[in-house]
Amino acid sequence: MLRTAGLTKRFGGLTAVDSVDFQLRDGELCSLIGPNGAGKTTFFDLLTGALEPTAGSIELRRDGEWEPLTDASPAEVAQAGVHRSYQITNVFPERTVLENVRVAAQAAGPNDWKGWRNAAAFEEHVEEAYRILDRVGLDALADRPASALSHGEKRQLEVGIALAGDPDVLLLDEPNAGVSSESVDDIIDLIVDVARDHAVLLVEHNMDIVMNVSDRIVVLNQGAVIADDEPEAVQDDPAVQRAYLGGYGEDGREAPTTSGATTGDSADDGTDAGEGAEP
Amino acid sequence: MVAALALYPFVYALLVASPLGTEAETLLPRVDTMVGVFYFGLFAMSFDFVSGYTGYLSFGHAIFYGTGAYFVVLAANGQVPLLAPGTPFMLMLLLAGLLAVAIALAIGALSFRLSGVYFAMITLGFAQVAYVFVRGWDYVSENPKDGAAVSTDVHPDGFDVGIPWIDALNLEIGRLTGDTVEFLFVSLSGTEVSYYMVGLVVLVCYLAMQRLIHSPFGTVLLAIRENEERAEAVGYEPFQFKLAAFAISGFFAAVAGGLSGGYGRSVAPDSSMYFLVTGDALLASIIGGFGTLAGPLYGRLFDETVREFLSKRGSGGGLLPYLRDHLPASVIEADLVGGLTVGGAIETFLNGHASLYVGVIFVLFVLYVPNGLLGTVRDRLGGTVAKQLPDYLDRYRRD
Repeated sequence: MLRTAGLTKRFGGLTAVDSVDFQLRDGELCSLIGPNGAGKTTFFDLLTGALEPTAGSIELRRDGEWEPLTDASPAEVAQAGVHRSYQITNVFPERTVLENVRVAAQAAGPNDWKGWRNAAAFEEHVEEAYRILDRVGLDALADRPASALSHGEKRQLEVGIALAGDPDVLLLDEPNAGVSSESVDDIIDLIVDVARDHAVLLVEHNMDIVMNVSDRIVVLNQGAVIADDEPEAVQDDPAVQRAYLGGYGEDGREAPTTSGATTGDSADDGTDAGEGAEP
Repeated sequence: MVAALALYPFVYALLVASPLGTEAETLLPRVDTMVGVFYFGLFAMSFDFVSGYTGYLSFGHAIFYGTGAYFVVLAANGQVPLLAPGTPFMLMLLLAGLLAVAIALAIGALSFRLSGVYFAMITLGFAQVAYVFVRGWDYVSENPKDGAAVSTDVHPDGFDVGIPWIDALNLEIGRLTGDTVEFLFVSLSGTEVSYYMVGLVVLVCYLAMQRLIHSPFGTVLLAIRENEERAEAVGYEPFQFKLAAFAISGFFAAVAGGLSGGYGRSVAPDSSMYFLVTGDALLASIIGGFGTLAGPLYGRLFDETVREFLSKRGSGGGLLPYLRDHLPASVIEADLVGGLTVGGAIETFLNGHASLYVGVIFVLFVLYVPNGLLGTVRDRLGGTVAKQLPDYLDRYRRD
């Protein structure tokens, strides 16, 4: 569905994303994990065209053909069918919840710029927006300004806006960030539901969620892929455990590259450290 | 509102002829002033169209206004190649608008690489270059610093509108002092004819912009204003939308400039291309309400009314001549403070200081009415006046 080859991004001397070969398959829910600063959001920014890669390529499969997406602008990436949600809530604050989703649906809908008609008269966009609000559970709040939503509702709206673009590939950047534990379940249900008809790449810090919902897990550390496998296999991977414990547990010291004598703890410890890394 | 404006010249004439005539003259803007409110209000609305709706302050907007004004005056004098002096006025306005679109696309293509204050500064830079250019452009007239006027030799009459059946009614734009036109049952002065013709053009332009604002295109502009990054991420190229908005806005700004050139039959660099002209549009937008489209027209009306009220001009009213004529001599000569008489104080404080007071009002608006006149009214009513007022009155009646 979406693949990268040798994707690299350097900021001066820092290599944020280091020669990543990655493939997101049709209809799968793949999680991208890694300690803070591993390059997950930078990787998202590269995929969506918000950042230009230093090297490497991005390709999207459409109608059975691989099309290059490396130099596409964010708008072109969105038009190609790759949509994202943001780690830090990024909506249209003064517009209503409905309008937030409607304007996104309009971008994906038939490009019908009859300038003289009221935007609300394009019923297909309005209906699509209501369908999506229903799906993300915000239909009752359609007329509320987005700025008046609670944090958890804004996270749902984030996903709603991304869904409204009628994506083939959905990139979700920590949809649970900062959400209270009661609301987390709603959002997990939403992710699982969305993954039924979209290829989803999920960045998530909560290991319980990651282990439960993912078909596959890719682990990034210092910009490089250190593991790419099914959840159980990743959980037992010593390199992953080292990355989490070495990267955070010892005051930000670099992860040891030789087989570590300092680690060797169980997978559960690694998981806890990962969660703890999230502020 | 349209109906109220349509009746204004008659109401004004009636009030001035009434026993309270001098008070009416003092308080109300003259019909002549109202024509200026119309075309400059259109300019301010075009400024709001791009600045209020995309959030990019077009500080060099005067360049489009000036383009329109210069184009119409030069065309009327037969100084524009391929265009006869007798070209219908509406065609001149259209061509002026299209010229401004071309200029806007060129300026916008460069300027929209920047944002925020840098965008405002680069557009201002372009406009100032144009200002300096027309000040020294001796093709326009012998003394380009003072601008140019429509020659009475080349163009003796007002401007024909250019729509056959309207021309048959002898309705012309442009000062036709002393001329009257019989129209249906009423007799209109030249100024009143201009009032309606200019008003009509402004109304059509307003409706066109209003449609665009509410169309899918307009909703994208609002999305860009609120969150350009997200607008781009859902699939809109902000650059294209901003450039289109800039060009459309330039078109209507040039039409406004053309109306001013046509009505005043003259153009001067300082009242068309200068950055203070943009400043006046900004003032009207802030007072009337940024991002409300119609607001800037009310802002300009407010601005002009206050200016006229505080002006020293004898004709057509103003506070100074009114007080001078109506206060008893004993009051005027009374000593106020340290040898300053009341009359002296009036002269000192009111003589030509309108801009000072308008400046104070502007500051007060920015501080206490940040949404402007129309913006605040809409916030209170919870929607546009036309939609909400009937409901509101209905509720009020029942309570």
